[in-house]
Amino acid sequence: MSRTGLLRALADLAARPHAGSAAVAEALELPRPPTAGEHADLFDFQVYPYASVHLGAEGMLGGDARDRVAGFLRALDVTPPPEPDHLVVLLHAYADLTDLAASGAPRADHARRVLLHEHLGSWVGRFLARVVELGADPLRTWAHLTVRALADELAVCGPPPGPPAALRDAEPLPEPEDATAADWTQGLLTPVRSGLVLARADLARAAHELGLGTRVGERAFVLRALLDQDARAVLGWLAREAVRQADDLGPVAATGGEPTARWWRERLGHTATMIDRRLGAGAGPSGAESGAESGAEEDR
Amino acid sequence: MDADLDRLAERVDAARTATEARGETFYEGPSRSQLAMFPPKERWDDWVELDSKAWPKRVEKRFMLVPTTCFNCESACGLLAYVDKDTLQVRKFEGNPESPGSRGRNCAKGPAVHNQITDPDRILHPMKRVGERGAGGWERIGWDEALDELALRIRRAIEDERQNEVMYHVGRPGEDGFTERVLAAWGVDGHNSHTNVCSSGGRTGFQFWTGIDRPSPDHANARTILLISSHLETGHYFNPHAQRIIEAKHNGAKLIVMDVRLSNTATHATEWVAPYPGSEPAILLSIARELIVNGEYDRDYVRRWWNWKQYLTEQHPDRPATFETFEEVLRDLYADYTFAYASQESGVSEAQIRAVHAAVAEAGNRLAVHSWRSAAAGNEGGWQVSRTLFLLSALMGAIAVPGGTYPNAWNKFVARPIHLPHHPAAWNELTYPLEYPIAQNELSFLLPHFVEEGRGLIDVYFTRVYNPVWTNPDGFSWIEMLTDHKKVGLHVALTPTWNETAYFADLVLPMGLSSERHDITSYEQYDAQWLSFRQPVLRAARERLGETITDTRQVNPGEVWEENEFWIDLSWRIDPDGSLGIRQYFESKAEPGTKLGVDEYYGWMFEHSVPGLKEKAAEEGLTALEYMRRYGSYEIRRGIGPLHETPVPAEEHATDRRVDEYGRVYSRDPEPPKENFAPTGAPDPDHEGRRAVGVEVDGEVLRGFPTPSGLLEFYSRTLVDWGWGEHAIPTYIKSHIHPEHLEAGQVPLISTFRLVTQIHTRSANSKWLDELSHTNPLWIHPVQAADVGVVTGDLVRVETELGHFVVKAWVTEGIRPGVVACSHHMGRWRLTGHEQAHRLNTTTVALHNDGSKWSMSPEQSHGAFESSDPDTSRIWWTDVGVHQNMTFGVHPDPVSGMHCWHQAVRVVKAQEGDRAGDIFVDTDRSRAVYRQWLEKTRSATVVSPNGERRPRWLIRPLKPTSDAFRIGGPVGRRTDDAPVSG
Ligand code: SF4
Repeated sequence: MSRTGLLRALADLAARPHAGSAAVAEALELPRPPTAGEHADLFDFQVYPYASVHLGAEGMLGGDARDRVAGFLRALDVTPPPEPDHLVVLLHAYADLTDLAASGAPRADHARRVLLHEHLGSWVGRFLARVVELGADPLRTWAHLTVRALADELAVCGPPPGPPAALRDAEPLPEPEDATAADWTQGLLTPVRSGLVLARADLARAAHELGLGTRVGERAFVLRALLDQDARAVLGWLAREAVRQADDLGPVAATGGEPTARWWRERLGHTATMIDRRLGAGAGPSGAESGAESGAEEDR
Repeated sequence: MDADLDRLAERVDAARTATEARGETFYEGPSRSQLAMFPPKERWDDWVELDSKAWPKRVEKRFMLVPTTCFNCESACGLLAYVDKDTLQVRKFEGNPESPGSRGRNCAKGPAVHNQITDPDRILHPMKRVGERGAGGWERIGWDEALDELALRIRRAIEDERQNEVMYHVGRPGEDGFTERVLAAWGVDGHNSHTNVCSSGGRTGFQFWTGIDRPSPDHANARTILLISSHLETGHYFNPHAQRIIEAKHNGAKLIVMDVRLSNTATHATEWVAPYPGSEPAILLSIARELIVNGEYDRDYVRRWWNWKQYLTEQHPDRPATFETFEEVLRDLYADYTFAYASQESGVSEAQIRAVHAAVAEAGNRLAVHSWRSAAAGNEGGWQVSRTLFLLSALMGAIAVPGGTYPNAWNKFVARPIHLPHHPAAWNELTYPLEYPIAQNELSFLLPHFVEEGRGLIDVYFTRVYNPVWTNPDGFSWIEMLTDHKKVGLHVALTPTWNETAYFADLVLPMGLSSERHDITSYEQYDAQWLSFRQPVLRAARERLGETITDTRQVNPGEVWEENEFWIDLSWRIDPDGSLGIRQYFESKAEPGTKLGVDEYYGWMFEHSVPGLKEKAAEEGLTALEYMRRYGSYEIRRGIGPLHETPVPAEEHATDRRVDEYGRVYSRDPEPPKENFAPTGAPDPDHEGRRAVGVEVDGEVLRGFPTPSGLLEFYSRTLVDWGWGEHAIPTYIKSHIHPEHLEAGQVPLISTFRLVTQIHTRSANSKWLDELSHTNPLWIHPVQAADVGVVTGDLVRVETELGHFVVKAWVTEGIRPGVVACSHHMGRWRLTGHEQAHRLNTTTVALHNDGSKWSMSPEQSHGAFESSDPDTSRIWWTDVGVHQNMTFGVHPDPVSGMHCWHQAVRVVKAQEGDRAGDIFVDTDRSRAVYRQWLEKTRSATVVSPNGERRPRWLIRPLKPTSDAFRIGGPVGRRTDDAPVSG
């Protein structure tokens, strides 16, 4: 049974809803199609369906992480689209390579494994786990299905021999005294450095749980504002969040294999330990008092 | 494996699986999953949809889906007519997925064909004038009466050897050569096109490089796309090209758009470059200079394919004819075109020009370029826009390679027809006058002036889907000509709808729309050759039901005909016994002595002249004609590649071979049989009559380009020989609206741009399109609007050389300051007192005439009206714009012959009593402007190097015999000015 139609249908729902989305959602037995608002709220403001956001050294769109995907596509003689690392593109590319492999095209089978291990499995489990937590009903169902579909692909392709290159080479969160306050805060918001995937909704939850006020602005600004109000409480929350997220790595193991899940677990553990150590020493992050300058710029 | 996921995968694939299991075609949609985009072709005989009008009840309706080809622009997109099986009426049009160019997609104008065929004001019967021309009196006549009158008159002209007093003046042909061959069969050099008010400028630049006058950019595979116009949204070929440009953008291509306006196309651009109009070549040459100086061009390509040796030998005889010398010379030639100079000329920042240069340099040979109307049609010397644009392609070797630009004839297929008549024996000086020996096309828009000067008159004048009174500049001169019986003996308008020119006709003959006529089309839209068939869909539908249709009038509404049957019938009446030698070209081959029918005409062509079609059809148990009637399109081959690199077989240059000093190879071996009749240049034989077969490149004889040298002509010897040596290489000619040529207070008016959902005069009878766009305000920058003292909606007077027009202002930052713009798509009118007229989107006007002074004033604004279509009573808009072209003088470019559309105007506040749509013109002024531009020409009588009227190798739709090429040769018309009684 070919699954490439299914993968393309899943890709279609990660793209902006269109006239045909309802039919695709129905075929996938989603409770209903996602609305444009639900889609935009989740994928434009909370969690971002891009490899570069999850694997990039700055936690932002573009950069080396995107170039790696573009280079991979170029090596296959495909001109990379403007957003080569978008989940839609990656799922379509994977489906196309699977079809090519089935038709006996040389290199295609190897290429699809590389794509699955290095460019999808390396991050997509983290992203989908957060969608399950934060998304509206249809998108949660979609995320569950996507995890299951990719898990089956991984079962066919086999697990990666070790953590993907993008993770292996990623620097961890620096010790606070080795970085400016802004860099350290940005590090916390950079998945590949802190292990954390922090959405706006998470920061709002932190504020709510800690009884702090939230500011409106980009995530770094919001986080700085929280730290300014009560650095110890917020750091404690972040350490607990790292532990909590480390408990939710099932989707990563399913889609990226155990070596990938282990890497994320260790990175989250490293972040939690570092913060706990700081708290044990009675310190907040250095420069915690210097608030972010502006909240106007979104970080994507 | 997760079995539940298998179940879901099955659901997702269900539509495709079920379709394919039935042996049917699944047309994948953009999501590439689940939804099919189109009904499988296997079910086109019986397609079921729910009746939208019966909603919420689920009532099934059954359709027959019949392909045809859209006739609303030259893109020839495939349409599928949904023919209601109960009523045999067309209910709607959608895209045809079997059409390789359009791939099932259409622009808004495609589905709007339904409006056109159901237009309550369309012409359904032949009509004959009663009373004075233009007075509005008409009576219905039969086809026989009309045909007999015409045949008699044409026969008399042919017998009297004044055959060139018959003229056929065509707007967009929308077909490949049928009518040209009709004229050839009659021996009439009477083809007159609209091209010199359209694309002659653009074509000229390409023609002098490659011998082929249109580009075929492979947008989809380009890394950088450079468009000199709003081509993406409106140009040739709008929908087929737009979808490929967007595809390229998705694949990371850069899109550079040079356009004075922030057009819809410019909004999609990576770089929107808004130069001062006419300065485009300065920018392009500065980019070329930078590529040359930095050595960023493809040296080997230039060395192999440019005619640099000829250039050096003839223009720098004192220097060694080596490529290294040429490179040095090239650097010097363009040394002055610095970014600073280009910036100063264009007003575009140096930084932006640098960015464009970088994008061009990065593209390598994946640079797709296009220029068609826009700057090339607006400016004196505009033909150098496409010539300098193609210089970039030629430098980068971006010609006929994936992502580059192909000469169009390689991506187009014109099939050999059943009969091939000879070309005419007399030269038509009203279309190709001596003053314009190298004009790309007929000097169509000067016709009233030529006739006025007594150069000849017209006995029978056909306007075919062409509306010169409205489309051309200087419309009042056209009215003066058309209302004068001494100048035009009989004016026949072949048209589906009333228009401003048809009001001044003697006979108005109703012709079919997209789904009511036969034509063959093939256009350059990607690297392939394909053929599409336009057909009367009800004819095909009823034939599928087993009926035999022998005349398209049996299925068309009223007495609407289709042109091919009309021309065949008319030709038989002109030469009923075959004594004029005309009838033979309209006879059946299967049953000699009987009239050729369209089934045989197209059936023969599809069987004999389209490679692979017969075999493809046979796979489905169909004849080639049945295949085309069923699917509408056929892709002959794709991946044509660089034909110029094709080696010429040795047997083609074995006999008496001669190679000239620049490598042109000539031989007396016969030309191999020609398969593709797409128009190209036809290089002359050598002085001793040997045929040009190819060109020697690095010791190998290759096919080369259809230019005199066989190479890419950086240097045009033709231009030198015919008196324009100063423009022989790509260069910058300062436009007639260059700031140096403007008087104080004047600004350029850009009048050449289209509205995305309209198409010149052709789409006016589409209610949906008219609701979308129905007016043409004057685009004016806020700074300038403040100077004039107007805000959006205020009336302004735009003063031109001939008079003025009054229009509403639209204040916008979407245009360069110091330039104003007004689309030519609007301002349609009907005359007061005309019962027979077109009511949709027209203003009722009165014409006033006092000597040479003319004015037009709106009498009744547009609005709702009662008709057989209830929608016309719901029309809510009243402003349908202004007919600005009336106030423009004629500006023929002395080289290309293109009308240079841009106007130097003054924009002032409207005066008291001015109303939107008012027009004032003095035709004495228009004659003065004509004479002023005529002075710029260099007549063949002075410059011709060989005593002929025109270089023979240049493309010309009909190529008269050698004797007619001679200056002083036969002209096929009376030389005195006695009118023909009629
Ligand atoms: S009008 Fe539109 S649909 Fe028709 S041929 Fe042109 S681009 Fe295609």
